[in-house]
Amino acid sequence: MSEIIPIWRLKYLPHNLEEICGRKDLIQRLLKIVKAKNFPHLLFVGPDGIGKTTIATLFSKAFLGKYYISNFQKVFADVPLTSEEMKQARSDAYVSTNKIGSLAGKKITTPAFIQVKIKPFIELKALGDVPFKILVVKNFEVLASNQQAFRRLMEIYGSNCRMILITTKISAIIDPIISRCQIFLISPPAYEDFRKEINLILKNEEIVMEENTLKLLYKITNGRMADAIDLLQLSSISGEKIDSSILYENLMVSQGNLVKNLLLLCLKGDFPKARELSRKIQSNYKYSSQEVFNFLLDEIFKLPLSRYARYNITTLIANADVRAVDGLDTDIQISNLLAKICYFAEVL
Amino acid sequence: MKNLPWVEKYRPKSIREMAIPQAKVSGHIVALDEELRTFIKNFFRETQKINEENKKIKSFNRTVEDKKQKKQLKIPSEKAAVLLEGPPGIGKTSIVYALANDMNMEVIETNASDTRTRDALELKLKETVKSRGIMDFIVQSKDKLILIDEVDGIYGVTDRGAVPAILDLIKDTQFPIIMCSNEYKRTLQPIYNKVRKFEVKPLSKDEILKIIRVILKKEMVENLKLEDLNYIIDKNNGDLRGIINDLQGISQGELNEHNRELITQLHRDSTEEIFSLIRELFQDAKSLQEARRITDKSDVDYNFLYKWISENLPTFIKKNKEIEQAYENLSVADQIFGRIRKNQYWSLLPYFYDLFSGGVVLARKYHPENGGFRRITFPRFTSTGLFSLSVAEQSFVEKVKARYNISEIEVIQKLLPFLRSLSSKSRKHLKIISDWFDLDAKEKKVLKS
Repeated sequence: MSEIIPIWRLKYLPHNLEEICGRKDLIQRLLKIVKAKNFPHLLFVGPDGIGKTTIATLFSKAFLGKYYISNFQKVFADVPLTSEEMKQARSDAYVSTNKIGSLAGKKITTPAFIQVKIKPFIELKALGDVPFKILVVKNFEVLASNQQAFRRLMEIYGSNCRMILITTKISAIIDPIISRCQIFLISPPAYEDFRKEINLILKNEEIVMEENTLKLLYKITNGRMADAIDLLQLSSISGEKIDSSILYENLMVSQGNLVKNLLLLCLKGDFPKARELSRKIQSNYKYSSQEVFNFLLDEIFKLPLSRYARYNITTLIANADVRAVDGLDTDIQISNLLAKICYFAEVL
Repeated sequence: MKNLPWVEKYRPKSIREMAIPQAKVSGHIVALDEELRTFIKNFFRETQKINEENKKIKSFNRTVEDKKQKKQLKIPSEKAAVLLEGPPGIGKTSIVYALANDMNMEVIETNASDTRTRDALELKLKETVKSRGIMDFIVQSKDKLILIDEVDGIYGVTDRGAVPAILDLIKDTQFPIIMCSNEYKRTLQPIYNKVRKFEVKPLSKDEILKIIRVILKKEMVENLKLEDLNYIIDKNNGDLRGIINDLQGISQGELNEHNRELITQLHRDSTEEIFSLIRELFQDAKSLQEARRITDKSDVDYNFLYKWISENLPTFIKKNKEIEQAYENLSVADQIFGRIRKNQYWSLLPYFYDLFSGGVVLARKYHPENGGFRRITFPRFTSTGLFSLSVAEQSFVEKVKARYNISEIEVIQKLLPFLRSLSSKSRKHLKIISDWFDLDAKEKKVLKS
């Protein structure tokens, strides 16, 4: 561990449950579970970027102890299957006639995602001296209709493998899943805890920062530890002392502001430039059209717009989103929205 | 005879007349004509055997248990049908007809021009397939060969139930079945599982040249130079049918030194064609009819065309109101196209055409007097809609993932932007980061962009 990690976000990653910033009640509850050696399926709910996955991982590590590596798996629901995995799923779905049993020669109609990513792990027995395995599914809400498949899996393989489902939107999770899980609401750390943690880093990296600036940092990052640390590192390049203007300057380059700039360009009525920027955002960040629409929607409520303008632009975004679901070329649909906002701003 | 298209006129009557395209079965090169011949012969031998067996089983006086044990035999599916897969116009259908002619058989054909719902298929084929006609007992009639052409043209909605019908057909058939298709289609997977697949490759250039020389001699066309022929062959990518069609097209025009121009008129799918097409659309079209005429006379692939229009829209249309109108129509066109592709509602295609061409062009009310020359650009941005990474990005993500356990999407959306801004601020950090992740030059570029 003598190696110095150049990225602070990774350098100050917590190594166990006790090191997690704030949220002491939650951590206490989790530690009790670790002692009790048993827990039902869990559902972690909370805004993005506040450390749900980190908590789930560290919790599993504490729970499984030295058998962690073989009994733990993290699955990202939002990563599409590669073509090889699709092929694998297709060939797996066919049960050879050489096999014995009523399924021989038949096709299993499990969704490909579950076939490839979930089943191989949960079907195998837990290894070592642990009561069961732990499977963490991130961004569970993305699974949509595949959630149905989880209902049976959670029951059939429940004794062999417990799941920790992580989501940002509980409304997108179907009721049968919610009823099978114990829900943990996870909130961002309180300001006091946040301050303590950041001060530790400041001391370590020999940076000076005033109380006011720290409050500002908490406000603009919404308590997201990782984002705050990123911003700190960016700002630290300019000098040892960080004040609010440096903080703002560095905030400008982060992604939220690109979307803001996009909206501002549209409101100015400069369509060609807006399209250029939207393409840049899409290609650099690999956002889907839905994500771009969501960011725009968020941004509308942050900008000082009249009620009338907000209402109209929201309708435009909704219409564009509906069309993008049907259409093939997302760029055309996003450009359509931009053109509409440009025209709307001009009329206004 | 004179009015026949050349393609039909010169369709080979016998295997001996035709150039056999190369074929592969699971990676091994085979002689297609020989394989098909043995397939047909084997089929009839097998069915004869099986029919005799079945007759024995049927007529034998047996108890119920016996009957249960001894089921009627059926020919295994890989011996009942084969699939020829290859690009269009290389002789898949021709070889089947030529072979049938040589072996004195009758071909029963169904192709994409027939509707192929389950009922229609059964009506057309099943009875012929299952039984031999009454006349067959009196006169020794021709054996039959079933050709299901353009299997990949089976569409989800209009041809509902066709795939299971074909599978049933393969099970019960009394005659050999040959299927042809242009490309792999997922909906046809059940059929692929059952039959042997021949991958048919296009003819070589020399062979094509030989064939078209013979045709040109017979048609007494002399003015075409070798380079022109080469040009046509290259344009068609070994599609012999397309080549012969083009030749006929040229020979019907006036035969003089303008040949080359004629050829280019037959193939408009070049970039210059799209350039002039876009220019014409935006600058000359004043009504829907005109826009339609311009798109109709070209055979530029519409998959591209509407992306070209989207790309060049702001160069020609400057007013926000008109841009809004134009994009409204374009986005509805895209929506319609999406529905067509997802549900195979091809009847919606005319609307799609009119919206993306006429709809966009006519949104422009204001025509500046001196339009001047405007540069037309390629569609630079192709949105895949899915999460796709370039090679350098992929290897970068792999390296980051090895160090830090997060998903690809998180690397791209959260970590990478941060690293980018960090390394753009100071060169020192760029070096530290790339050393730490052990990046090579290409991966460093990902950070710099």
